Amino acid sequence: MATFRAEVFQNEFLPDGGTDVHAIVTVTAEGVGGAVTADGGVAEVVMIDTSGSMTGPTLEAAKHAAQVALDHIPDGTWFAIVSGSHVAQRVFPYPNARVAIVQMEPGARAEAKRAVAALKATGGTAMSTWLRLADQIFATQPAATQRHAILLTDGKNESEPREQLTAAIRDVTGRFQCDARGVGQHWQVDELREISTALLGTVELIADPADIADDFRALLAASLARGVADAQLRVWTPQGGQVLFVRQVAPTVEDLTARRTDITPLVGAYPTGAWADESRDYHVAVRVPSRTVGNEQLAARVQIAVGDEVLASGLVKAAWSDDASLTARISPEVAHYTGQAELADAIQEGLAAKAAGDEATATVKLGRAVQLAAETGNEEATSKLRRVVDIEDEEHGTVRLKRGASRLDEMALDTASTKTTRVRR
Amino acid sequence: MVTAGAPDAAVCPACGEAAGPGARFCEACGAVLAPAGASTTPDGTAAPSTGPADAAAGVARPAAPATPGEHGDPGDPDATVAGAAAPQGARDGAPDAADAEPTPCPACGGEIAPDGYCLECGARAPRERDHVERRASDDVGGVSDVGVRRRRNEDALALGTAGDVAVLVVCDGVASAPDSDRASRAAAQAARDLLVGGLGAVEAPAPDAGAWSRLLVAAGHAADAAVRAAVDDAASREDPPSCTFVAALAGPTLLVAAWLGDSRVYWLPDAGPAEQLTEDDSLAAELVAGGMTREQAERSRDAHAITRWLGADAEDATARTVATRPAGPGWVLACSDGLWNYGSAPDVVAGLVRDAVDRLGPDPVAVARDLVGWANARGGHDNVTVALARVAGPAGTDVAPGTTAEDDPGTVPTVRRRPAGSLAGGPRTAAPPTA
Repeated sequence: MATFRAEVFQNEFLPDGGTDVHAIVTVTAEGVGGAVTADGGVAEVVMIDTSGSMTGPTLEAAKHAAQVALDHIPDGTWFAIVSGSHVAQRVFPYPNARVAIVQMEPGARAEAKRAVAALKATGGTAMSTWLRLADQIFATQPAATQRHAILLTDGKNESEPREQLTAAIRDVTGRFQCDARGVGQHWQVDELREISTALLGTVELIADPADIADDFRALLAASLARGVADAQLRVWTPQGGQVLFVRQVAPTVEDLTARRTDITPLVGAYPTGAWADESRDYHVAVRVPSRTVGNEQLAARVQIAVGDEVLASGLVKAAWSDDASLTARISPEVAHYTGQAELADAIQEGLAAKAAGDEATATVKLGRAVQLAAETGNEEATSKLRRVVDIEDEEHGTVRLKRGASRLDEMALDTASTKTTRVRR
Repeated sequence: MVTAGAPDAAVCPACGEAAGPGARFCEACGAVLAPAGASTTPDGTAAPSTGPADAAAGVARPAAPATPGEHGDPGDPDATVAGAAAPQGARDGAPDAADAEPTPCPACGGEIAPDGYCLECGARAPRERDHVERRASDDVGGVSDVGVRRRRNEDALALGTAGDVAVLVVCDGVASAPDSDRASRAAAQAARDLLVGGLGAVEAPAPDAGAWSRLLVAAGHAADAAVRAAVDDAASREDPPSCTFVAALAGPTLLVAAWLGDSRVYWLPDAGPAEQLTEDDSLAAELVAGGMTREQAERSRDAHAITRWLGADAEDATARTVATRPAGPGWVLACSDGLWNYGSAPDVVAGLVRDAVDRLGPDPVAVARDLVGWANARGGHDNVTVALARVAGPAGTDVAPGTTAEDDPGTVPTVRRRPAGSLAGGPRTAAPPTA
């Protein structure tokens, strides 16, 4: 039986006239158990890039990885394979099959492997068509409520305008979750990040095609460990209050603010997708009307809900005080994750400036990133930053852009920018 | 003692959360679960004790302190002061919280969620302890209030009677140490229980200053032990929960007070000069001892730093005691610094009580409520607790004011005090200096 709990870390004391309340809410799921695949509640779609650029060892590695994935999709799971270029095509079930998705069983597995082995690389890349086809396939099996997809590409989304991809992402958001993987150095981190962020997945760089199979295996294991198909984060604010932002801050930074749907005028719901036994941190910031010193009130109820049932609730408080020793303190959790969110922005903005040839801005932003990574103890970010900049003074964020930094190193830094370290408690 | 007679399945009187057998604090809101009415009658004492009274006294729920006369008219015997249904329900093992209509939010009229906050405006629902009224008898009562500027009432009040002797205990949680509200509640109840039980153990409590002093010192130690037990692992904190302690035994012919810290007992005779019986264990008191005026000392920056207290980091929980023999009728008043911050001199306190009695009559709860309201009207920077006992004075002796009873020379007043320099422990801030 899955249980959730919510812990709140904050300094609830506000000075006279203070209105803004920040809290880190740690949501932990326990006893979730794995996804139950046998009764047909789980569906997986694997999207493989078969554009012309994949020709050669990359395509062979991708085919091998897809076949490994098929071995790791348990019997009973609904599945389909999509090949993507400037158009998307269903590879299995075969295009002429009567159904768009089938339940895994040994015969289907063997036939699907054969279909994957026959893939040829040709054409361009228009990922909007891949996402829309995956969505159509999932939609044919409404009973499968836990829907997960893997998207693998090696290149830019070059066969369509960006707006077309953005529109497709918007249309399929909330319909399934998707992890995006880029092979090699010719794909665009921001394109895949747009997909994975909206579809509550992850984005990763796979530098060596030989590593795709291991990654797929890990992705499926993670997906199948999620025994709670869909949970919502709900935030109640009082009459007259407003949500400033709601951000997932661990394990990765994801801004959820714009993802709100109203449950009631006072309660908004934010999607969090499927859950395994895990813990995630959320930074919730709300603004409430100021009250006189000595008053205490609730600034937010932060709840985790599955279906219509609230499974855990954390209370974010506001207490007005004239004791500066209470009000001046910043919660270490809030400070830590504020720094980590800024770190992600600094890395992305720094790399974007560098790509645009603005070395001055890039140096300042990446210097700030070095400083924040050190302050918040994010060693992975620090080590990835070292491959892109020469650090002269970590504490003050003084850096020089590394001449001849490889594109792969920059992409690795970019994809990892949203990963956070947990606050030390 | 605390659990004697308590129903096995208790329900938190503050928030309605079910509590396991033997639980002393509510898992949901942290309120203490000593069930009113069921818990505090000292069983096994054959004494003419009417029992400690916060038992029956009940839970005052109003957002604002009740106005005088609204609950429990003066002279109404054994009246529960407010919220009579609550202790009754608990006594019957049928907790009212489950059955009662949910009280709407006092701020906006919205529904109060089980988490204790309004579902509409987020205002905190009043907690039981925000405003507590207690009555032990017609002559013994008290009020404890959160005040205006504090979030939580860390003062605690416990009253009782044993024969014609009133028992008053006031403890003030040390604001700088978290969870001191638990400390003060445990201390006050433990001391009261020991005092009522100790007096009740003898057939007719003899007005023996030495015996009463020893009993009060024992009560201080019991309170200290209760604090350590109540705060569990918090005792190992650097700043463990702690509180002041003041207790008074008030009989017709003898008053004995004991204290650690800066909560006080005043003796306010109807005729003759009022007196502060206790002498604060505080930096301010040491400044006065060093020659500073009381007004200057109490305005000084660390005036509220106390030098003795109860709790895991207290070096010595042996209360100092003082005894006096009333020559005639009057009031014994025990209070936390939330009151005397606004009127420290004995004649000021006496004037407040006299004025309240003139307006409201001699009901101790009504008078205490009036004094609490007075402190709140002056800013209410701290929690305010006032306990009062009406003392009849020696029977048949209508002694002239200020004269000494001839059969007891040298005992009016008999004051035993340690020299100020003998205090143990370093200074400690009981409360931030108030504006």
